[in-house]
Amino acid sequence: MQKSKFLPRGRKDRTVVLVDIRETKSAKAADLFLQVRPGKDFEMLTILRAMIKGEHVTDDQVAETGLTTDVLQDLIERMKKAKFGVMFFGMGLSMTRGKHMNAAALLTLAAEMNAFTKFVAMPMRGHGNVTGADVIMRWQTGYPFGISFNRGYPRYNPGEFSTVDILVRGDTDCAFIIGADPGATMPRPAIEHLAKVPTIVLDPHVTHTSRLSRVHITTAPAGIAAPGTGYRMDEVPMPLRPALNSPYPSDEEVIRRIKEAIAEKPDWMTDQPQMIFSQV
Amino acid sequence: MLRIIGGTVYDPANGINGEVKDLYVADGRFVSKTEEGQTIDATGMVIFPGGVDVHTHVAGGSINFARAMTPEDHRRTQAFIRTKTRRSGLGGMAPTTFATGYLYAGMGWTTVNEAAVPVLSARHTHEELRDIPILDKSSLVLMANNEIILDLLEDGEDERAKHILAWHIWAAKSYGVKAVNPGGVASWKWGKDAKHLSSKIEGYDHITPGVIINKLAKMVDSLGIPHPLHLHCNNLGAPGNVETTLETMRHLEGSRAHFAHLQYHAYGGDDWGTMKSEAAQLAEYFNAHPNMTTDAGAVLFGDTVTITADGPWQHLLYKLTGRKWGNLDVENETGCGIVPYTYRPSNLVNAVQWAVGLELLLLINDPWRVFLSTDHPNGACFWRYPEIIQLLMCADFRNDCMAKLPPEIKNRITLPEINREYTLYEIATITSAGPAKALGLPHKGNLGIGKDADFVIYHHDKDIARMFGHPRYVFKGGEIVIDDGEIREAPQGREYLIKPSYDPNTDDFLKPLFEDRYCMSFENYPVEMERIEHAQIQNCDATDATN
Ligand SMILES: [Zn+2]
Repeated sequence: MQKSKFLPRGRKDRTVVLVDIRETKSAKAADLFLQVRPGKDFEMLTILRAMIKGEHVTDDQVAETGLTTDVLQDLIERMKKAKFGVMFFGMGLSMTRGKHMNAAALLTLAAEMNAFTKFVAMPMRGHGNVTGADVIMRWQTGYPFGISFNRGYPRYNPGEFSTVDILVRGDTDCAFIIGADPGATMPRPAIEHLAKVPTIVLDPHVTHTSRLSRVHITTAPAGIAAPGTGYRMDEVPMPLRPALNSPYPSDEEVIRRIKEAIAEKPDWMTDQPQMIFSQV
Repeated sequence: MLRIIGGTVYDPANGINGEVKDLYVADGRFVSKTEEGQTIDATGMVIFPGGVDVHTHVAGGSINFARAMTPEDHRRTQAFIRTKTRRSGLGGMAPTTFATGYLYAGMGWTTVNEAAVPVLSARHTHEELRDIPILDKSSLVLMANNEIILDLLEDGEDERAKHILAWHIWAAKSYGVKAVNPGGVASWKWGKDAKHLSSKIEGYDHITPGVIINKLAKMVDSLGIPHPLHLHCNNLGAPGNVETTLETMRHLEGSRAHFAHLQYHAYGGDDWGTMKSEAAQLAEYFNAHPNMTTDAGAVLFGDTVTITADGPWQHLLYKLTGRKWGNLDVENETGCGIVPYTYRPSNLVNAVQWAVGLELLLLINDPWRVFLSTDHPNGACFWRYPEIIQLLMCADFRNDCMAKLPPEIKNRITLPEINREYTLYEIATITSAGPAKALGLPHKGNLGIGKDADFVIYHHDKDIARMFGHPRYVFKGGEIVIDDGEIREAPQGREYLIKPSYDPNTDDFLKPLFEDRYCMSFENYPVEMERIEHAQIQNCDATDATN
């Protein structure tokens, strides 16, 4: 692990605490493993927030989370003593019981820890360039995902406009899938809808989704055989330089050619000019 | 080609103050005469050089984080609907990139300077800048809390630090140097701050904020960078901080300096309860020292989102407001905090801030040295500039606004005693000619022969906010981009960069230091030139910079 001016011994100068519902391989790499009872993340985070503020919490309340008061007290001690604390969190928190409330509790805990020492929280992103998609959607539309353009401007409502919701409702008559394999992870009604409508997949590999698609265009894998940019999960963009050549076009080239072909078609949008003062 | 006839021209760069004058344009620039092309009759209308924003935050990690944090604002704001030639987007507190271009151009601004770019997110910032249509752009790189540079200064290796600074400017494909809370942001990595020029900087024994400021300003001058050190002083926003600001100004005698958003640095009092304006004291010092320029960082009442590299200040603001707080740390370089905020006239602190911004604009007597800004989006959103112009041009309107402030405001501000009203000529200076000059962009904010044909035609209107909010035409590079509120064209703008010279061995010196500290490889760090669209490299002239 990176050695630095302030952490000259690298990993030895850092403390890693893993919180999970089961002892995963990561537990071996951690200094401390806390096994929380499934579905009790929100309770654990809320109890931590209370204890940090010196509020009274009963042993029974703590026990419900699968942990003990002593263990949490020790954790709090370590957190307060840290010079720079980071809490990484992933889908185990945001996609289980409590969902966004769990994430909110964790973010609040991070903010409140700053009364004692420097603390931040950061989501662990999924495979590939999820962060890049999120970053670019934000600068172009103001929103990270779950965006509808069907009124000609971006609207956002996760739960309504998220891919899975649109597919489950059968609201789309065509699907264009790039850099993802929803056929492997989404609920059955969503997958059935993908199979029903013309689905176009751009992927270097044969995937669950490509198998049920009407068109699969094989593309060069980004970063291996196609150049591009990938955003790290701290939103720092990294240039991708291909190490190999590929007979296949890049995703970018395919999309550009599709876009050019669509531009030839009659436009369904209004001919009205864009006015800038309508609502200012 | 284009002929604009009969307009009343305000062109401070050429001393033209409201003369009826024809303008001719060919190949994107003003020419002495042309018989060809479209003729626009501007009789009875007012012609200004296109606006230049010396300090704004429109692209990069922090504004993009602010966008993510404020979906509730996007929902209520102006939507830009896609057309055949225009991209969709949203206005509001943190407009999306395409909308940013349309909104700036829509009120006649054609050049903007993105004022805070960490080297590490420069690649991202340039990608966003490319998605801002119409405008020409430049950006400043954050250098006052960079660990490698601070370490060199700590060891007294000033000459080496200068080469590293120049190297970083080019690596970031940047146009100049921004210093934010020098030393304070570095201390924030430890949860601490550095409020005064002699404060201890966590992790260092010898250097202080004062030392960093002094040395950076000298380096910027000696490298001949067109724009002086762009400084966000220590102790932003705090009651009594005028002392720090004055001390900083004294520190910088003999160097050029641009003081960013001076409004946030001009407070007296001991705490929030006794906070008052010290704009008069600051303006007096400023007026007597021609080595400095500043932008107002004016505040308007209403909702906005505050974003700044000043991490410790944002933590305080979060504690004060209890609203959302976003914090970003950029390894080795800087950080950033984001907090949505509402300025209310009934809030005494906000009322003082509102007055301070206007007082500075009115009490600094040379319009070539004080520029219109709101530190967008911190004090207010840039698309509200016409409201500030109205406040500057109409003392009656100002008095009406002051009447709505709480009575305790008395004795805390000097605005009621100021009768000055800006002229159109002065407005053209603080919105265009002045900032263009301070940025070292002589072909901007200037309607002279050979200069870029970026200009605005306004209807005369007694309602000043309406006049400046609704230009009749806006031209960018000689092309009509806005015609009576309609976006006609959205051409791609340029990006201004500089390449100050540095020792060719700098790469070899830096590489091991870099690889010790950063979690990316050295080769991936500099922004590739291919990523900049329409890059325009401006000259650095070391002999020219100090006069
Ligand atoms: Zn700023």
